[in-house]
Amino acid sequence: MIRVVIADDEAPAREKLERWLVEQPDVDVVGVVEDGLSAAQCIEQLRPDVAFLDIQMPMLSGLQVVGQLELSSAPLIVFVTAFDEHAVKAFDLNAVDYLLKPYDQDRFARTLQRVRERLHGHESGATAVAIGRARAPSCERLLVPDRERLQLIDAASIEWLEADDNYVHVHTPARSYLLRRTLQDLLSQLGEQRFVRIHKSTAVNINSIESLTPLFKGDYEIHLNNGRILRLSRRYREALFVRMGQ
Amino acid sequence: MNVLSHPLSAGVHTDYGATFPPKTLVTFWALWAAFWLLMIGVSIEDQLRDPLTRWWEPVLSEGSSALVSTGWMWLAVRVRERYAPYLDKPLIWFASYLHWLPLVFITWITVVYSIRHGVYAAVGRIYEHPTWGFVVVYESFKLTIFTGLWLGILFGIDSYGQWQLQRHRLLQTQKALAQAQLAQLQGQLRPHFLFNALNTVSALMHTDVARADRLVATLGDLLRISLRSSENEMTPLAEELRTLELYAGIMHERFRDRVTLSWQTDQTLLDIPVPALLLQPLLENVFKHGVEPTVTRVRITISVRRESGSLEIVVSNSGSMLAPEHHDGMGFRNCRERLSIIYGDAASLRVRNEDDGVAARVSIPLTGIIQ
Repeated sequence: MIRVVIADDEAPAREKLERWLVEQPDVDVVGVVEDGLSAAQCIEQLRPDVAFLDIQMPMLSGLQVVGQLELSSAPLIVFVTAFDEHAVKAFDLNAVDYLLKPYDQDRFARTLQRVRERLHGHESGATAVAIGRARAPSCERLLVPDRERLQLIDAASIEWLEADDNYVHVHTPARSYLLRRTLQDLLSQLGEQRFVRIHKSTAVNINSIESLTPLFKGDYEIHLNNGRILRLSRRYREALFVRMGQ
Repeated sequence: MNVLSHPLSAGVHTDYGATFPPKTLVTFWALWAAFWLLMIGVSIEDQLRDPLTRWWEPVLSEGSSALVSTGWMWLAVRVRERYAPYLDKPLIWFASYLHWLPLVFITWITVVYSIRHGVYAAVGRIYEHPTWGFVVVYESFKLTIFTGLWLGILFGIDSYGQWQLQRHRLLQTQKALAQAQLAQLQGQLRPHFLFNALNTVSALMHTDVARADRLVATLGDLLRISLRSSENEMTPLAEELRTLELYAGIMHERFRDRVTLSWQTDQTLLDIPVPALLLQPLLENVFKHGVEPTVTRVRITISVRRESGSLEIVVSNSGSMLAPEHHDGMGFRNCRERLSIIYGDAASLRVRNEDDGVAARVSIPLTGIIQ
């Protein structure tokens, strides 16, 4: 069975899509939500095979939702939109699936058929995630788990990131969050404007660095504004100096 | 369908050459110089036939006249900005200039004849001319004709300049109006709105044919009104509210359980003429900024009432506030522009936080539309 999540803020649009999907013998609609944040949460928790996302939604747009997903585990994405010239251009170029509203049963069936083929070929939503990250400035806000829910935090408030196997600790002044992501993937989402790697398993927000103290053998200690001391390894030294010199 | 047309198709032309044109003044002075050169030339030729007259005598005679006349003409040209408002009333314009004539007579005759007498005395001769009484009458008569002629030319040049300027301003105003109207149309029935409305119809078709049918009719009515209104500046308030209802009806179908709409209308005001399609951008803004970004239920209120000599229309929504760095969007700007074109300062649009939401307040004077 193909497990599907639907997100659209307009009830008639949602109902139409749900009705047509439920009619399919090989489709199981596991979640229907009305806004971007719920969509992200739903995808995170239910791990569907496919997500049908409206682009204009409250809280997070469809593109922003996708930009927040982990590259390797993202479901296939089908954007369902009324009119977004730019987005549609991106879709055409990268062959991401989309449905333009209003759509008829033929077009719906064609899109679904392509989804089946992609799933059969074990494709993921990586292309969509890449587009989402490029198109929606997802580097400004980060979706983090907060007990049972997801919440958005300001990327500027993150002081440093600490890898821990397949998880990353995201440290903010208020508290730390644990994300099931790789450091590499998270850094590629947050962009290189603000964060710089200082160790195999740590990255730091450039703005939270207070001072550097040289150690032996070319290593340094990084003192953060909050008093914490981190180790800068030689391997990442040059890159950091270049960034701080700018 | 001009609903989706491009701004270039509005048929607005740009005008060139707006300010009081200096080019025409160059023409004027060239004409002046040519005139005097001709006068000097003719008088030289005339007098050279007389063997007793030296070549410089006609040059002195016409040259002294040219010098003083040019001085006065220079003054006349300098004050023409001040007299420009009277170009529409030629009598006042000419009178403003001509009432200086007596002073022109006295100074002109005194200076011109002094120069002539001076130069003749310098070469040891006497400048001979008829009696002073005759000179004054003769020269005054000549000056009057001469002044009238050249003022006529100046009047022609300045009138033309002013006409050009006014035409330019008129075109600018028309252009601004056309752009506002076009932006209005585009703002109100953006493709996004149309496609989403169509999708709603396509969704309803499968569950509730009657409702889908109604929605199509509503959409048709709205399109018809928006196509017609671009030609028709003012519309009765009742019509404008009807348009608002159509738009609200479609949006309500789309956002079904997320909005409630309430109308409070003073029925005695329904015949008042208001600018067509003025209110729709306000309601559209409510949906765009008040309804679409939130999942909570939003209450929209549209109220129409009489408020101390003005018609006051308020479109308000609950639940959202203006951002502190709020700037007026295109919708508000167009609305303001149209109000000020039609009513001057007498009408206003104010947008601000009120109670638990945002209210856009349009105030239109009930009497005295400034056209």
